[in-house]
Amino acid sequence: MKNFLPIAFLGAAALIFPTTVATIFLETPIEAQMGTVQKIFYFHVPLAWIMMLLAVVCGVAAGIQLRRDSKRAEAVSIAAAELVLVTGLGVLITGPIWGHATWGKAWTWDARQVSTGLLWLIFAAYVLVRHYGAAGSERLAAGLAIFGAIDVPIIYYAVKIWKTTHPSNDVAGSLPESMWAALWPALIALLLTSLALLLIRVRQELTDVALDEAWIALDDAALPAPGDV
Amino acid sequence: MLAPENQPNDDYEPVTGLDQETIACVRACESEAAAKTASDYEHIVWAYGVIWSLFAIYGVLLWRRATRHNVEVADLQRRLSA
Repeated sequence: MKNFLPIAFLGAAALIFPTTVATIFLETPIEAQMGTVQKIFYFHVPLAWIMMLLAVVCGVAAGIQLRRDSKRAEAVSIAAAELVLVTGLGVLITGPIWGHATWGKAWTWDARQVSTGLLWLIFAAYVLVRHYGAAGSERLAAGLAIFGAIDVPIIYYAVKIWKTTHPSNDVAGSLPESMWAALWPALIALLLTSLALLLIRVRQELTDVALDEAWIALDDAALPAPGDV
Repeated sequence: MLAPENQPNDDYEPVTGLDQETIACVRACESEAAAKTASDYEHIVWAYGVIWSLFAIYGVLLWRRATRHNVEVADLQRRLSA
């Protein structure tokens, strides 16, 4: 069942993606002010939501890891952090592409862009510490993940607190039904893909731990007992 | 008696056409709209391409890691059976 879930999620996403693209380009109306380029919205915005969700998952899992010393929570934290990098990079590249077409400038240094960039850098630091850090650095990395998760509400409220070029959070609520008809499947397809990759990565991390323990046990068994020397 | 095509028709309106200035203006607008649409599609292709490439690259990295695990498990089994 555990092996089947990621495959089922990826299969469902593979079916939903083409129909979503067809809906976006053939059925969804062209936005009056921005024109055709607004169709980037249908993948840029869900990707940003997923990035923020994964950052929170990573922070919570890191908190559980610190408190209970749980290997499973640690694996979830590592997998979620890597996916924050993947989805975050997607958001940070598609956003400026859209901005270049609509605002005439790819990067305007507005609060939402900067706070999203900071989130990505924090999780890049987390992944680097996990990868290259010495023994005990997993606790420092967990602290970074919690710090990164705190950035999520800052990203969300950035457009309310500061004057930004990004539209307000109310835009999603005011969308016509025809646009939601394309946004929902795009969100579900991206969510299923991210969830499948997360599950695969969590299993790999747990396999890594099990393999390390198996090698140590094997080496210990191969060593002669102190009395035999 | 006049042939039907030669009878006066009250609905008849002569085609006057557009003046050269209006034609040039319409053509300029059409050309600008076409350029905007082409540019929009270029941006969309880049954006969608980036998203799917990122997921595909991460998928390949996970697949390579899984292959490494399989090799390691086989190595461990070989050591245990030796």
